[in-house]
Amino acid sequence: MQVLIEAWHRFLALFRRRQLEQDIDDELAFHLSMREQEHLEAGSDPSEVALATRREVGNVTLVKEQMRDRWIFRYVEEAAQDARYAVRSLRRTPSFAIVAIVTLALGLGANTALFSVANAVLFKPLSVPEPERLVRSVTDNNGVWMNSSPATFKVWKDAGAIFEDVTAHRFDIVNLTGDGRPEQIGVARVSEAFLRLFAAPVLRGRAFTPEEDRPNGPAVAILSYSLWMRRFGGDESVLGRRIVLGSVPHAIVGVVGRGFDSEQFQSLPDIWLPLQADPEHVDGASIYQVTARLRRGVTYAQADAHLRDALDALNSGARTGRGGRRYAWIARPLQDAMAGSFRASVNLLAGAVALLLLIACANVAGLVLVRAEVRKREMAIRAAIGAGHGRIVRQLLIESVVLSLIGGGAAIVMGPIIVRLFVGLYPGTNPFMIGADEAVPRIAQAVGGMLDWRVLSFSLVVSVAAGLVTGLLPSLHVFRTLSHSTLQETNAPISGMRWLTGRAALVIIELSLALVLVVAAGLLIRTSLAMRSVDPGFDSDHVLTMRMAVTGTKFETRDGIAELAREGLTRVQTVPGVIRASTTCCMPLETVWQLPFVIASRAGEGLIKTGAMSFHGMGGWTFVSPGYFDVFHIPILRGRDFSLDDDARAPGVAIINEAMARQYWPNSDPLHDRLIIGRGMRAAYAEDPIRQIVGIVGNVHDTGLTRNLRPAVYVPMAQVPDGVTIANVKLLPIVWIARTAADPYTVSAPMERALESTSGLPAGRVRAMRDVMSESTARHRFDMWLMTAFGVCALMLSAVGVYGLISYSVQQRTREIGIRLALGAAPGDVWRLIVRQAMSLAALGILIGVAGALYLARIMTSMLFGVRPHDPVIFTVVVLLFAVVAVFAGCVPAGRATRISPTTALRCE
Amino acid sequence: MTGGARARIIPQSVMGETREIAGQLVPGTLDMLILKTLNRGRQHGYGIARLIQETSREVLKVEESALYPALHRLEVRGMVRSQWGVSDNNRRAKYYQLTALGRRELEREAENWRLVAGAVALVMRSL
Repeated sequence: MQVLIEAWHRFLALFRRRQLEQDIDDELAFHLSMREQEHLEAGSDPSEVALATRREVGNVTLVKEQMRDRWIFRYVEEAAQDARYAVRSLRRTPSFAIVAIVTLALGLGANTALFSVANAVLFKPLSVPEPERLVRSVTDNNGVWMNSSPATFKVWKDAGAIFEDVTAHRFDIVNLTGDGRPEQIGVARVSEAFLRLFAAPVLRGRAFTPEEDRPNGPAVAILSYSLWMRRFGGDESVLGRRIVLGSVPHAIVGVVGRGFDSEQFQSLPDIWLPLQADPEHVDGASIYQVTARLRRGVTYAQADAHLRDALDALNSGARTGRGGRRYAWIARPLQDAMAGSFRASVNLLAGAVALLLLIACANVAGLVLVRAEVRKREMAIRAAIGAGHGRIVRQLLIESVVLSLIGGGAAIVMGPIIVRLFVGLYPGTNPFMIGADEAVPRIAQAVGGMLDWRVLSFSLVVSVAAGLVTGLLPSLHVFRTLSHSTLQETNAPISGMRWLTGRAALVIIELSLALVLVVAAGLLIRTSLAMRSVDPGFDSDHVLTMRMAVTGTKFETRDGIAELAREGLTRVQTVPGVIRASTTCCMPLETVWQLPFVIASRAGEGLIKTGAMSFHGMGGWTFVSPGYFDVFHIPILRGRDFSLDDDARAPGVAIINEAMARQYWPNSDPLHDRLIIGRGMRAAYAEDPIRQIVGIVGNVHDTGLTRNLRPAVYVPMAQVPDGVTIANVKLLPIVWIARTAADPYTVSAPMERALESTSGLPAGRVRAMRDVMSESTARHRFDMWLMTAFGVCALMLSAVGVYGLISYSVQQRTREIGIRLALGAAPGDVWRLIVRQAMSLAALGILIGVAGALYLARIMTSMLFGVRPHDPVIFTVVVLLFAVVAVFAGCVPAGRATRISPTTALRCE
Repeated sequence: MTGGARARIIPQSVMGETREIAGQLVPGTLDMLILKTLNRGRQHGYGIARLIQETSREVLKVEESALYPALHRLEVRGMVRSQWGVSDNNRRAKYYQLTALGRRELEREAENWRLVAGAVALVMRSL
């Protein structure tokens, strides 16, 4: 208690220092004047009174000093003094200060920037009340995490015991028609609970009602604030008016408040539509994001357990033949789920920047050590005139901290630039991409997030820590040296062995840390190269793609879409520069459906049964119009392509891929067989014709370049039953593809015009296939480029650091080398001496580094592709690289050492 | 001596500082004398010194180099409170005043002193 009172008074005094000084002066002045008056009253000579009083009182300054001492924190005061001294002394040696600050700023900048990205994505709580109670439904399908299907959504909705509220949503694009030019706008299709769950402010009107969210419910819409302004000028009478999407007028029932961001969409949606999910809809497509609010007090584990039971109940008796498959529903904390695989990247990169910072610290520690040696005399003198050893060491530490704080300040200033670079490297999210894992909606918030208190305090803490780490080794050495008597050592020691140990440690640390980083970068580079060399099975060069939303238009039937495709393609083919065009429901590397199939020739045997379905296997399912394989240069290995004659009146046909042919017809000819597709998935599939297999095409990596090939079935667009087409185009806008003679983007405008004049609908999301492909590996490239940048920085820093340390040790040993030379040592001996020493340090550093890298590589395994974690090539190359760097860093100073002239060397003190 | 209460001749140092002591004073009694003096009412530093000197019939002389640091120490420790006021001769002076904490401290120190003084007297008488 007593201690607290004192500390509190002292703390308060910190803020009224000037007042305190003044009070002390005034108080003593009053005292002295009273004493003088006393003397006068006693009859002393007025001219001598002042002097006599002074004499009596003694050293007034000392008294004041003692009074002041009562009020201050001695450590704070001294630290402030030391900091001021440090700044003065750094100003005297600007080149040292600049190099040290730049080095530290590099390390701190990388850390601060990465932290602000991580903060935006991982740490900053979602802007929803009680975000920790929100969970995302994740389907674990044999270790691959997927989004939810309508069936999953239903299960979650029924789990009222654990969830207070459940919603599903997905992003879509629709055509805004009616008055004005048609435009494609971003749509959030959300279930009734969404706006409530994400605490959306409803500015006008109301949120959706449960009735509006039923399958085949009414056409209603809620406007975003920006669309309300843009299309309606903020008109108050907008409620009840209609907005035409596709060709369907939607009644406007509400407007969402300005700037509302559920953080679930990469770009803010223009309009909100009810999801109207059909729980009977059990396609393989898992395209919903299901979010739930846990009941108060329900833990994640309890939720998972409940979902496990629900799945068991659903599968009871129906599960056969799927032995060994793992399938589970998990309730992941929402923020965690939103970060997806980004967390793994952040962990890896955080490790990398931490190592980089350590290398920077080691580098600066080397500089400080060298400087400390230059300042040995200064320190010895300070010690001699009474400074405690602790105080001197603290001075050194504070100097490092000051350097580091300046570096940290620079890092914060540079931060936004680095963050912009990070985020710029980070790929935009493709809303149609398979697997939500790649989507990180909040990453863009990192730009401009530098002034967040978490980022600033992180930066401060790390700067101070880096300063202490930097100062640690030099301080220990100075402390040890001071403990020996230094003042006598005015002559340089013959061999600076005592100082050398610190330097040796730094050389080893720097080399080993840098080696770890460079190996990690090497592994990621090889991963990227391996991905680039994957043959996707199609030719992505010179292919342009664009999407068109046909839902709610006359084109959403079998005949309608076939007509649209025929007309549209005829027009597109006439666009100069278009070689061949086609349409499809879904592109490779984006969403691809999966459907069960039954092989007609053995319809009764070997069936797998799940729920209402029985099938021989599951396969990718894509509807295409003729020319699809031509556009993508997918080889037709046997049989024929689809033609315009394969329409609704003709017998059903299908084309399968090579993988399917091999797996299901190992000893027979699939071209003599027929397929029954999709039975049991939904009523609409009952109308799907039994299809004759007419062709076998090459395999395509349509679910991702790094994923395994799987069976795939293609069917002609003109033969897909109405119900299936309607459901499909509602889930995904169709894709137009064209093979072009030159740069694909040159035909985008005429192609869009041609399509709009055919259909009256706009096309959007224009993408060269090359870019779609590059998007699908963008995450890996992001990791790779950042890691490479860090690796290069680390290599350079450590090379410079090691060179500097060895050069300095040579310079320190000038006298010793001079004596050796004078006593007859050959320059070659001296050279070998230095190089051998440098190399033995380097060898130790490399050895430790390799051990660290082996460990890191194992952790990184999941991020690698096409390269083993302990890839001998990478390890050999990197070790050689470091050996070369070390030899260079040793040879140059060694060469200089051989040119030392004995006479100058001996005279140099 | 009652159980547990031990007389201290030199009070323990506070926060590592050794107390300055006035030449003529028994070591460690200055704080107590200041507190006792202030117990009569608020007073400035000069007044405290004068009062101690007068009350002790000029036996105890408090030096500035001891008095003022001691006053400030007591203030930091929360035993006294200070306030600027106007002195009898119309000058600005810093007045000190006892706090509740200081009053308790005074009682403790006085009790301590009584014990020590009595003990010392006993010893001196017996020899």
